[in-house]
Amino acid sequence: MRRRMGRHHRKGCEMNDLMINRRAFGLGAGATILAGGMSPAALAQETPRRGGVLTVQTYSDLRTLNPAMRASYAIHIYTSKMVEPLVDLGVDNQPVPKLATSWSSSADGKTITFKLREGVKWHDGKPFTSADVQFCAMEMWKKYQNYGTLLHRFLSAVDTPDPHTAVFRYDQPMPMELLLRAACELCYVVPKHVFEGTDLLKNPANLAPVGTGPFKFVSYAPGQNLIMERNPDYWVAGQPYLDRLIIRVINDAAATTASLESGDVQASFFSAIPRTDIVRLAKDNRFRVGTKGNEAYTILNTIGFNTRKKELADVRVRRALAHAVDLNFYCEEFLMGYGKPAKGPIPSTSSFFVPGSAQEYPYDPKKAEALLDEAGFKKGPDGTRMSLRLMPNQSDDIRAFATYIQQSLQKIGVKVNIELLDAAGYIAKVNRDWDFELCTDTNLYRGDPGVGSTIWFQSGVPAGTPWSNQFGWTSPKLDKLVEDALVETDSPKRKAMYGEFVKLATDEIPVLMALEQVFISVASAKLRNDHNSPRWPGTSWADVWIAS
Amino acid sequence: MRTVRFFLTSPAGIIGLVLLVLVLAMAASAGTLYPNDPLSLAGRPLQAPFVNPRFVLGTDSSGRDVAAQMFHGARTSLLIGISATLVAIVVGVLVGSISGYYGGWVDVTLMRITEAFQTVPNFILLLVLVVIFGARMDLLAFMIGLVSWTAVARLTRAEFLTLRQREFVQACRVLGMGDLRIIFREILPNALPPVIVYASIVMAFSILLESALAFLGLSDPNVASWGKLIADGRRVLRTAWYVATMPGLAVLIAVLSVSLIGQGINDALNPRLRRD
Amino acid sequence: MRLLRLTLHRLAVSVPVLLIILCGVFLVLQLAPGDAVDALLGQMGTADATLAEQLREQYGLSGNAASRLVVYLWRLVRLDLGFSVSYNQPVLDVILSRLPATLALVVSALALAFFAGAIVGVAAATKFGRWQDTLISLLGLVFYAAPSFWLGLMGILVFSVWLGWLPSGGLQDLSANYSGPRLVLDMARHLLMPTVTLATIYFAIYLRVIRASMLEVLSLDFVRTARAKGLRESAVIYRHVLRNALLPMITIIGLQAGAMLGGSVAIESVFSLPGLGRLAYEAVVQRDLNMLLGIVFMSSILVIVINFAVDLLYAQIDPRIEAGA
Repeated sequence: MRRRMGRHHRKGCEMNDLMINRRAFGLGAGATILAGGMSPAALAQETPRRGGVLTVQTYSDLRTLNPAMRASYAIHIYTSKMVEPLVDLGVDNQPVPKLATSWSSSADGKTITFKLREGVKWHDGKPFTSADVQFCAMEMWKKYQNYGTLLHRFLSAVDTPDPHTAVFRYDQPMPMELLLRAACELCYVVPKHVFEGTDLLKNPANLAPVGTGPFKFVSYAPGQNLIMERNPDYWVAGQPYLDRLIIRVINDAAATTASLESGDVQASFFSAIPRTDIVRLAKDNRFRVGTKGNEAYTILNTIGFNTRKKELADVRVRRALAHAVDLNFYCEEFLMGYGKPAKGPIPSTSSFFVPGSAQEYPYDPKKAEALLDEAGFKKGPDGTRMSLRLMPNQSDDIRAFATYIQQSLQKIGVKVNIELLDAAGYIAKVNRDWDFELCTDTNLYRGDPGVGSTIWFQSGVPAGTPWSNQFGWTSPKLDKLVEDALVETDSPKRKAMYGEFVKLATDEIPVLMALEQVFISVASAKLRNDHNSPRWPGTSWADVWIAS
Repeated sequence: MRTVRFFLTSPAGIIGLVLLVLVLAMAASAGTLYPNDPLSLAGRPLQAPFVNPRFVLGTDSSGRDVAAQMFHGARTSLLIGISATLVAIVVGVLVGSISGYYGGWVDVTLMRITEAFQTVPNFILLLVLVVIFGARMDLLAFMIGLVSWTAVARLTRAEFLTLRQREFVQACRVLGMGDLRIIFREILPNALPPVIVYASIVMAFSILLESALAFLGLSDPNVASWGKLIADGRRVLRTAWYVATMPGLAVLIAVLSVSLIGQGINDALNPRLRRD
Repeated sequence: MRLLRLTLHRLAVSVPVLLIILCGVFLVLQLAPGDAVDALLGQMGTADATLAEQLREQYGLSGNAASRLVVYLWRLVRLDLGFSVSYNQPVLDVILSRLPATLALVVSALALAFFAGAIVGVAAATKFGRWQDTLISLLGLVFYAAPSFWLGLMGILVFSVWLGWLPSGGLQDLSANYSGPRLVLDMARHLLMPTVTLATIYFAIYLRVIRASMLEVLSLDFVRTARAKGLRESAVIYRHVLRNALLPMITIIGLQAGAMLGGSVAIESVFSLPGLGRLAYEAVVQRDLNMLLGIVFMSSILVIVINFAVDLLYAQIDPRIEAGA
């Protein structure tokens, strides 16, 4: 599989302009040779070109544009150009300063101090201060934001000793690495003066963001497009380079390919086009295709077992089903090489990945049948051992995977009936009523296992909490481990604890983490400084420019 | 008999009959030609048609045999078409005959309900029903029938309005026959011919509705369907255009056959259009 | 006086119909698994249960169904369509932002189907029984039988993918930032394929209807008289026959006004158009009751108004027809 995402500017995305230019100068050349475009000599003279309109595709239709109250991959594509976080994620998963310039933690881990950037102005001209951070943390992140409510559970106060210092006080120790990693996605700051004293959920600024970012809001037509224009007063002098930025909603995969090829859009993220088109466009030198710039966006495709059901209560049955699905074949023939069998709930791209910690279930239909026989589920006269319902989530990819699971289990005598539900139906049936036998879903890995991974295995999560432990499997040992890791401030110790967590989670597999995929981007070969950080689609794009 | 003879002189009717036999043959032979589950993994995804003799029409993006799905899809379409039409006819005839026979407030109430169903876009109503009650095959036929009965009801009602004034109905009343008997034994047989012609339209439309639902990913996922194959083909339209093309033609032929037969029956029943 | 009677009659019919529709949709949607907040949570990726309860409270989803229905209807009386949970905006604003695309699509498709259907239908009727008639009728049936979303796909395949003549979707070229006549032209280019696709099935229907009613009218006495008076054939057709043959066509348009919105769901999906059809579909998926009821309400009003117009037109063309007959 050829991957053409240019390998330029891997480093230095947040250094000063001169550095960026020098990087582009040196490393960009290699990328274009790969892409078969201009000669290296022509590229050597490239300096960032001001101007131009960039249009990108997204399939998600958003109903709020306030990243301080809502966190999702989609919302960051839309809003991270206008609203900025305290820190962002740099290469090698290191935090880089954005609105916060430095940070430190007290010895007991309960007090974390952020120094804030000076001279930053909101789009409406008012100055950005620590009061804004305090307001967002206490009123939005802690109260309303999905994930944020969990992350800031123990946050008791944010002190503002001066306009450029915010001191976060927690009742329990907060691991610095957890907070910083999470902050890239969860600590976006919106202006206090716009929201204070209003109904936060219905404030018009939720749909017309005011931020500090390189682009200013122009218009938003839900389900159609978001238009932004250059912020001339951005705190990095000379940036952004683009005049206008358009996010266009196209929620059909084939139509997205068509728009890329016709030049209507210049980039598409999150594996939004059919695999066959990805393979085809990867060979087309007008595009760069690959997973680069998406390293922080690793997803796991899961197969969940409702262990309350008599068939699935037996761990041998769960293991049998895990052995019956040929994941390597799926990755090669269906994912066309863009994906691999996962090794537990922490993906191999993570710094928390401990090789060998996961129990693996290689494809072995004979063993699967033996396990089922052993568990007492013998083949009936029609060759069927049991009949199970499988509920996939709403993505095309997962539905295709559900078909594959159905086909695979059929071969060992397990009849699978797929039941398609929309998002609300899925949450109600699978997460709240637990009215399922098998489900297949996506687990978004959030950089730190404490943010979005452990919740799938922990007990005590209330029914109806989407993407949590709906499998009815509990382990006091795992629960304790997870709780302890959340307040462990010693980094190597924490990593070892999560290794142990993986071991426990994969041994009894209430949910099998089947596939690991990094999202694929398709971008016009004319883009520069694109995909130069691990969560690039969700970053500010201040340094992006378009070569002529 | 005269009607049948006239039907057989109508070219539309004959072409329709031939096409319908073709679709019926596909449905009937699906089990013998493709005994395996048409949705099972058959081979490498997206093989082109006429290349691999095992898969005459190639495979779709999930590695399923397109030909097998085409044949089993014929079953689905016919099954949905016929059962949804039955539901629509039964509901429509019931509502229409009661409304037309009794008149008065019964008529007013039933007609307001009919108008309500007519006013709401029927596809949107269908979407609501499918989302709520799920997309199982048996339910699907019922729901499609439930959104297509209004015209049948109006047609039946109109016939009843004229027929109930006729002498033979008056005579039945005088003889002391019960209402139900008069409605179903005496009037209904006379009111049925236009309803039967209309049934072909309902059936054609039911097949189209099912394919549109499947295209939007809302049909029974455990059953092969032409609409689903079109939806699958849409994702690979640029690399494998044939996946979407063939099932579309199949829907076209099935609907065409039913419409042509409807026209044939109409020509046969409607003497004015008969060519002398 | 007649106009007043007609109006009163329509109102007497329409108000109960509207009530049945709104209550029906409201109650049916109560049976759906999950509610708007569940759908919202689905978008977020995750959230805890207390947040969900808090949101339910905030959006007025926690009371019992009957009381919420009453609240809704009372608001509607004051012409307030309510607030959309999933769009975080007043329902009316969202509907109005989507209306132009759908209106442009439906109206142009209807016009195309009407005129093309009338012209071709008249041609078929005047050549009754000859090969032209058979060909036209057959063509009509083929158009009727082809699933519109599939025709759209084939159109994209031929005109966008292979020939590159037309855009494959969307309403306008956003990056070009057109305005004025250029914008209109650009939008027309984008709407061409969807319009033709949506029009096909209606074209087929109108074609059949006009052909049949032309044949019916042609056999009537007054046509014979007109011919006997020595009028030219074209004058007979257009001045006398067509005028009368149009009546059933108008009825059909009245009946189908609602259906077209449904038909545009698949078309809007194929061509990624931001219209009302897709909005309705999204509203169902998002369990956005206010939004769905708002769309149903608006489209019902539209259908009622169109039917009223049809009544008036009828009364104009044929004074013998009384309202409600």
